[in-house]
Amino acid sequence: MSSRITGSMILPFLRTASATDPDKRRVRLQDDVTSLFDRFRNPLLRYLWNLGLTLPDGEEILQDVFLSLFQHLDRGKPLYDARGWLFRVAHNLALKRRGRSRRDSEGREQAGVEDLAVDPAPNPEDRLASSQTQQRLMAVVRALPEQDRRCLFLRAEGLRYSEIAGILDMSPAAISLSLSRSLARLVRSAERYTL
Amino acid sequence: MKYEASHLTDQELLLDIERIPSGHKEKVIRTHLDGCWKCRARRKGLENAITDFVHVYQRESDPELPPAAGPRALLRARLAQLAATEPARRSIGTLVWRGLALASAVCGVLALGFILSRFSVVWRDSSARAGIVSIPDARLTPGATLLISRPDVCAQPDTKNKAVPVSMQRKVFEEYGIPGADPGAYEVDYLVTPALGGADDIHNLWPHSYAATAWNARVKDALEDRLREMVCDGSLDLSEAQREIAANWIAAYKKYFHTDKPLAEHCRRCGE
Repeated sequence: MSSRITGSMILPFLRTASATDPDKRRVRLQDDVTSLFDRFRNPLLRYLWNLGLTLPDGEEILQDVFLSLFQHLDRGKPLYDARGWLFRVAHNLALKRRGRSRRDSEGREQAGVEDLAVDPAPNPEDRLASSQTQQRLMAVVRALPEQDRRCLFLRAEGLRYSEIAGILDMSPAAISLSLSRSLARLVRSAERYTL
Repeated sequence: MKYEASHLTDQELLLDIERIPSGHKEKVIRTHLDGCWKCRARRKGLENAITDFVHVYQRESDPELPPAAGPRALLRARLAQLAATEPARRSIGTLVWRGLALASAVCGVLALGFILSRFSVVWRDSSARAGIVSIPDARLTPGATLLISRPDVCAQPDTKNKAVPVSMQRKVFEEYGIPGADPGAYEVDYLVTPALGGADDIHNLWPHSYAATAWNARVKDALEDRLREMVCDGSLDLSEAQREIAANWIAAYKKYFHTDKPLAEHCRRCGE
């Protein structure tokens, strides 16, 4: 499979479309979908987890996402931006699922604190400072409006403004405003901390 | 953050950081930044915030993620099942044809589900009763593999399967509906042996009954050795070997040893 993936992913599926035998085409399609799974499973799972889903729920959703992708392509529908498509479908399925099973946020926060406690910083002072910075930063992120948080997570996964806009059903200008608002809060928090 | 009208907004600074083309505005922003220390300092602050956030985001999320081998194998199995149950798309099709195809697919899925559920109940009941399992359940054990190359597989000096922990064995028994099974009656076996790139994952493990007189673990070991030899001498593709052993190891044995029953040297109790 081609590694030329920069958001738009038409190239890999040209290979699939070019197969004339339906059975061969489907075998190739399965390989292509699996390759996309290898490439995007971790970013997608991380995003779903940050949306508040448990990891098992996230894994289940990803199975549905990639099966849907297979069906989408098998029906001959176009796929101009695989990454955007995958995140959008995962996001929508996650919102449906989240209403039914919400992760215990207290447990998550506790786990986060434990992770910080084993931060392999070079010395105790640095470690303390580093973990305090992380805690402060995550506290600011958690306090952001949900849509702003989603923008931030998607941007951190490398998605472009237009892709995020498609996933969250917002305009690119609104994405830009949301991100600048969130970052400004992070800056203010850092300034308060250092003064 | 609000700044006096003469300074740039946070949004404008972010556009500059992200290098998003904004036409005439882009030039205005650049010109302003060239002459304004204050805005340059704010721009730097935003960049630092991005860096800090990305570090924390990666650090907080990555160690939590479980290995991909199991879910990957499950997806492969479900894709294969989906491809087998749904009719292939043809270039010429009418609405009537599509309607019929859809109806038959739905009926097929329902019938398959019914058959599978019946089979599962019968199989589980009989396996729990008779304690004989020679072929794993493809839904529970599709065969998880690692992303590993042929040279890496062939470079492994020790091809002996490592022991499966007791806690994992219990999980496998539970998955197969035999939670109280006697561990001495089964070998919790790898479907795709690690010597062929099989993963140490529950989706690659099943309770292989010692009570199976013909198609037992020793026979499967012989197949694994044979396939590994073929992979390493280049006569068989690694992914093909993995696929065949995961799909039906008995059929693979018959194919590669050209026989309908286990060879005597592989099976001491076959005649019983």
